[in-house]
Amino acid sequence: MGRKGWSKVAIGILIAVGSQLLIILRPSKSLLYNRLLRLGVMLPSGWEVTTAIILAIVSFPVTLVLTRFFMQVNAKKGIVGIDVHKLSKPRIPEMCGAAIPVTLILLSSAYVLIAGGNSITMLAFSLVVGSAAIVGAVDDRLKMRGIYKPLLTLLCGAPIVVLGLLYPNQVYNPTLQVPIFGSFHLPVIYPLSIPVAISVTSNTTNMLDPLNGTMAGGISIISAALLIGVLITDPAPSTVFLYACLLFSALGFFYFNRYPSKAFAGNVGQLSVGAALGALAILGRTEIASIVAMFPQIQNSFFFLSKIKRFTEHRALTAKPTKLLDDGRLASSSDPKAPLTLVRTLIVGRPAKESDVVSTIFALFLISGALALITMILTG
Amino acid sequence: MKRLNRRAVGLQLIVFVTQWGLMIIGFGILALLVAPLRIPADPGLGRYFDAAVKAMIALALSISWLFIWDRQVRLYFYRKREGTSEPV
Repeated sequence: MGRKGWSKVAIGILIAVGSQLLIILRPSKSLLYNRLLRLGVMLPSGWEVTTAIILAIVSFPVTLVLTRFFMQVNAKKGIVGIDVHKLSKPRIPEMCGAAIPVTLILLSSAYVLIAGGNSITMLAFSLVVGSAAIVGAVDDRLKMRGIYKPLLTLLCGAPIVVLGLLYPNQVYNPTLQVPIFGSFHLPVIYPLSIPVAISVTSNTTNMLDPLNGTMAGGISIISAALLIGVLITDPAPSTVFLYACLLFSALGFFYFNRYPSKAFAGNVGQLSVGAALGALAILGRTEIASIVAMFPQIQNSFFFLSKIKRFTEHRALTAKPTKLLDDGRLASSSDPKAPLTLVRTLIVGRPAKESDVVSTIFALFLISGALALITMILTG
Repeated sequence: MKRLNRRAVGLQLIVFVTQWGLMIIGFGILALLVAPLRIPADPGLGRYFDAAVKAMIALALSISWLFIWDRQVRLYFYRKREGTSEPV
């Protein structure tokens, strides 16, 4: 066995031992918690929140290993995409983002078994993420028409609606909390808007991954901001766990997806991550803050749709929003029919290197993340 | 060395903060004015009619919000003409 093989075994042992320790330590948790709190290791929010974060950190090495696995398998099977924004046009393994939904579902199950997390919340979350991943995988392999993705992802929100009807007030709360102005009850509109919310978040995340690492890096920033917001305001352990899990799994994938990419997420990764964010907004009651955090995605999708006026795939566009210059820089398209995407907006009149555009997009995510955090504090 | 497009970030900051403020005002209108409305209707379907009317008001508000967003971005980034690759 090579060095890489041994490192995988070591990570596996670490996870197994960590899980066993959590099971063993559960009965004496208050004593341990007090000691760790005194040492400054434990979060003041409580044992459950600390356990949730510790367990969620495991998603980072798990995603690393799984992404590596998908990179090797997909490259062998010829599931590759061309990095069109590079002069050398390298062929990169596609659909490696499958590592994120697999990790999220695995860790959610582990959280219920090990730390006694809310099983209904975790089931709803896993079903949404899993179904969105299936839609994405089918699209990756069959290249569906643009209209099918939004329609099929509408169905991905159904598990939350159904479980919410079966277990009232355990899955979602139809009272929307508004910053500054209090809250209002939406008994009819709220459940009906859940499938729309999942479809919008998954497809808008799918649309903002044109450059290396934009989706994974952006989602990492968003989930970090929302995690901090949840910890400051209302640290429900399940919500903290899921946001931390999304953050660390996105970071794990980002390690390989960052500029210059060695792995592409594919629709399977993009749709499932977007659906995870939408599901978390509903399950964690961070609806408005999530909208704010997703401002870059909303702007990108809205300007794309307002110009093209139909649901379509980027590959089907006749007028591309950007062009690659001979020196390797990206420039805005001069075609008036080209959509006004976020990348095009950022480089209009100022051609830039791909890595510079990616950094600019991350700066926008930092702004929207900070606004989301303020929104959560104002919501209380 | 990665270089940030500071001009674009600055303009986008203005756009995001404006839209954030407008969004909070919009939710304030919904919470304070629209949600407490009681629309008289048939008792059987009244609940759904009430919800539908409020949803329409919310939809109109969100369309107005997106329209302002659209104008703002076009003004800051594409003032000369949409098909240009020249800066404003």
